[in-house]
Amino acid sequence: MAIIPAFQEAGRIKNTIEAVKPYVNRVIVVDDGSTDTTFIEAIQSDVTVLRHMVNRGQGAALRTGTEAALRLGAECIIHIDADGQHDPSFIPSIIEPLKKGEAEIVFGSRFLGITSANMPFMRRMVLKAAKTFNTLLMGIPRHVTDPQSGMRAMTAAAARRLNFRQDRMAHCSEILRLTTRGAYKWCEIPVRIHYSSESLAKGQKSSDALVIVWQLFLGIFAD
Amino acid sequence: MLLIQIILVAILIGAIYMTWKRSKEQAIGFREAVLWTILWVTAAMIILLPQTTTTIANILGVGRGVDVILYASVILLFIALFRLHVIVERLERKLTDIVRAEALRDIK
Repeated sequence: MAIIPAFQEAGRIKNTIEAVKPYVNRVIVVDDGSTDTTFIEAIQSDVTVLRHMVNRGQGAALRTGTEAALRLGAECIIHIDADGQHDPSFIPSIIEPLKKGEAEIVFGSRFLGITSANMPFMRRMVLKAAKTFNTLLMGIPRHVTDPQSGMRAMTAAAARRLNFRQDRMAHCSEILRLTTRGAYKWCEIPVRIHYSSESLAKGQKSSDALVIVWQLFLGIFAD
Repeated sequence: MLLIQIILVAILIGAIYMTWKRSKEQAIGFREAVLWTILWVTAAMIILLPQTTTTIANILGVGRGVDVILYASVILLFIALFRLHVIVERLERKLTDIVRAEALRDIK
């Protein structure tokens, strides 16, 4: 089952759903309180669509989708972005280690051989800095190649145990930390990300890195 | 006594009165009322005997008494602000839980 969190993705969500569908048994779209026609477009596509009444962030939407997938009896759960950045043709290779029992959680990495299309220089630099931060302050091993990987897959058993609480952008680092420091078998596989002007305009800004650090810090005290 | 001292102390006496009135109304707890009273009394002491802060300042190695108060205020404000941030974060998480429960209502 694939989880697609979507916020203000009118015009893009349909294509993403159709692109993902052939690779999975079921698609769950979580509309994260969009004020545009994302929800309507999603329900037209004959998939399971959940709706957050108000915007709670990508991490929160992923968690909602993951819980829904568990209730619906999913064996494997795949997280994938709604804006078409992630190439769905990598879904078979990302779930392969799960099927073979080699891993419980698999991360798609942008830095394992496959060159991502049009990755801006600034993004590359920020990701390098994020990697150092993750190693030094989060205790995430240095051999994790992609510090902000948004495409991942996990078994139902792993999803049930993985208690990620960061609602917004910081969930990526949080999931990496929980996975690499917890008792999970995990691995990274190469994926390709398509950076388009649209996805870059709506996606993360370099300054968001600081916001993520702050959210992770606050999270320690809010538990 | 300077005019400013009279005005400030009058305000603080009012504050102490209000604190215990609220405590009686049970709007705030007894412990909280005591803490506030300590704060107001300390403030009144500093206003009436400003030289005490200079003594503290000299012990701490800060030049003037006023500076000690300023530094302490900034630190306290930062702590208060951070606490607020944490409280807001907890509220946000509760909100997310509610929103999630509502979104998942129809899933078995």
